[in-house]
Amino acid sequence: MYQFLSPKTIGEAKEHLAEKSNLKVLAGGTDLIIGLRDGAVHCDYIMDIKHIPELCEIGMTDDGLEVGAGVSLNAMLASGLCTGRYAALADSGHELANSLLRNRATLAGNICHASPGGDMLAPVLVLDAWVETLTPNGGRKIPLKDFFTGVKRHVLAADEMVVKTVFPRGDGTSAYHKKKRIRGHDLAQVGVAGSYAADGTLKLAFGAAGPTPVLIELGVFDPLALRAAREEILDKAMSGISPISDVRASKEHRLAMARYLAGDVLDALLEKVGV
Amino acid sequence: MRQIHLTVNNEKYQVYCPEHITLLTLLREHLHLTGTKEGCAAGECGACTVIFNGKAANACMVLAPEANGAVVETIEGEAKDGVLSPLQQSFIEHHALQCGFCTPGMIMSARALLDANPAPTRDEIKEAMEGNLCRCTGYEPIITAIEQAAGGERGA
Repeated sequence: MYQFLSPKTIGEAKEHLAEKSNLKVLAGGTDLIIGLRDGAVHCDYIMDIKHIPELCEIGMTDDGLEVGAGVSLNAMLASGLCTGRYAALADSGHELANSLLRNRATLAGNICHASPGGDMLAPVLVLDAWVETLTPNGGRKIPLKDFFTGVKRHVLAADEMVVKTVFPRGDGTSAYHKKKRIRGHDLAQVGVAGSYAADGTLKLAFGAAGPTPVLIELGVFDPLALRAAREEILDKAMSGISPISDVRASKEHRLAMARYLAGDVLDALLEKVGV
Repeated sequence: MRQIHLTVNNEKYQVYCPEHITLLTLLREHLHLTGTKEGCAAGECGACTVIFNGKAANACMVLAPEANGAVVETIEGEAKDGVLSPLQQSFIEHHALQCGFCTPGMIMSARALLDANPAPTRDEIKEAMEGNLCRCTGYEPIITAIEQAAGGERGA
């Protein structure tokens, strides 16, 4: 059994991180509570971060779009900020689970759960996002392309927590498309995010196509060149993924769907820029 | 054990309960409000939907200590003075329930939607209800019931 902690300030949270071992951070809890129920997660402390005001803020700053670790996905979607360059966050936010769970689930929670199929993970990679963390000695900034190390594994230390996710400013557009088994809520068989910056930089990222989400940096294209190089781009993107067969899809189906969805995302990006 | 203060259906409660239970268990076994149903207990089915601080949520996905200071609405608060709400009445009129097990959760998701958006489109209703599963009625009568109740509640 665990002791429940509910800090009201960053300072209190920092003290708990320093003094309490075997502590789990509770944001939305939509993965953690299932783990506790199933006996898959054991901890001595649970620290609810939703009473820390700074962690429940979302907004544009000089750095870009900042999403506090306690902000629910529905609050993020309702902010009106997931447009333009950040449109993939709206696409993926609406695809993650269902509206009931999105009233609780958070972006930071989805990132820290680090499931390779997490709907928010491919978008954060193509948008060059980073997380800022809190540790007993301060904190650090971790680019999300360096964050994921394996299935449900990441680089955070035991006494470290994410306080916010930051998406740098920039012009351009992005999109996320998902293949699932049913029309209702379901985990992804494959998810593909794409971003196309105003300077022509093109990135794709794949979820549920390897042990971690996979970012593919494809170079700089003007829109017409991108259209012409569509198949070449897809060949390059596909060479970077290594899906497996599991209960949701076979490896072969995932490969076929990954290529189909990646093409779909490229077409959506071109349509958004009017080509 | 932990002391929890919360407001449920406009009544204030003070409860001593284990720290590791969920809001669902707190409601059903400590406050004896058994209208909120336990289905999957894993955030999949929506049978335990309540309104938690103004937002529809699975009570099985909220730890009891998180409810300290919270305002919760459950199905027991929907009818007033023994009179069914227009939303409940609409479910009956449109045959939107059969066994009824999912209905308290359905009603609470719909209530949260109508409180926030009194004139939802059919697509907005579908999105708000996507976390509530029904295994016997089918969804069309439920969506229609909510659509019609919305019109009735705002006098359309």
